[in-house]
Amino acid sequence: MDLYPLFEWLDTSLLADISKAYGGTFAVIQMFHLMGMALMGGMVLVGDLRLLNILLKDLPSEMVIDNTHKWFGVGLTIMIMSGIFMSSAVAMKLYYNSMFAAKMAALATGIIFVYAIRKPLLAGDHTELNPWTLRIVAVTSIMIWFTVAASGRWIGFS
Amino acid sequence: MLNEILLSLARWLDSQSWSTQIHESIYLYSWIETTHVLSLMIFLGMLCVIDLRMLGWAFDKVPASTIANRLDKPMMIGFAIMLISGFLLYYAIPVRTTQSIWFRTKVILLILAGINAFLFRAKMQASASSWDLDPIPPKRIRVGAGLSLLLWSGVVITGRAIAYDWFDCRRELPYVMYWAAGCVDEMAAFQ
Repeated sequence: MDLYPLFEWLDTSLLADISKAYGGTFAVIQMFHLMGMALMGGMVLVGDLRLLNILLKDLPSEMVIDNTHKWFGVGLTIMIMSGIFMSSAVAMKLYYNSMFAAKMAALATGIIFVYAIRKPLLAGDHTELNPWTLRIVAVTSIMIWFTVAASGRWIGFS
Repeated sequence: MLNEILLSLARWLDSQSWSTQIHESIYLYSWIETTHVLSLMIFLGMLCVIDLRMLGWAFDKVPASTIANRLDKPMMIGFAIMLISGFLLYYAIPVRTTQSIWFRTKVILLILAGINAFLFRAKMQASASSWDLDPIPPKRIRVGAGLSLLLWSGVVITGRAIAYDWFDCRRELPYVMYWAAGCVDEMAAFQ
């Protein structure tokens, strides 16, 4: 499926007009993108390091996952909303940018992983799960989200 | 006087071959910057968790001191990586960075965030026993946490803005901007 029309539409949208006309707006929105990333990254790390039994060992992992998941969603929403705005400024350039495609693939993998695998799997009692399952989920999660962040930074370099 | 000293120091750093090598390398500079951004996830991520607890918005059933103490170490590891990678980024482009109004604002905000963190910690240690288990900490603690998030947001935005050349010394700017950015040569030419 060719997404060219979508990028073309984004390039001529009102968002693109605003982001292209005011460089300062782009910088401020980018700050929200980075803060959303930090919030999301913090929640991923705290949750996953608890599953790996490295951090907050004296707290039940169910409680840590429950508390971090809510704010993970907030961080992800901020990141996606600000990301759409930022993409509109350079939509046609991004269409041809392989690192952007890599980031979108990693992001889609991350969202599916969190909402289709991690969340349902960790919804119940963690003691009923094989410890290796918890470790694999945690390591996979950290790897996916660090890939999303790193590939995002490399969009600017490629 | 201070601007001249800072500029001399920056020029001395700029004359070193390692500075040029980092700046001109195809991948090294990019990787250092990527490390800087990823360490932001560790440092600021942990800070967000601590501040959200202090605001009473997360982990409200867990003692505030438990969250602050347990996350302190990973947060400081993230900060150390951020500081080292940040210095290397400065070392690669010292003259332009020294004369960047954004970099200067970032350093001021960093100092303010450091002072806030120090006062916040002192306040917390002095009074934690009286509110440690409260889901919502006292107002002064919440103000400190809010201020911390605000100051670090400022650090992030000014850090990101260093890349923009809107107020570079080579541009035609009002005198006050040259002064704020420490554009020594441009200020002399202006006079």
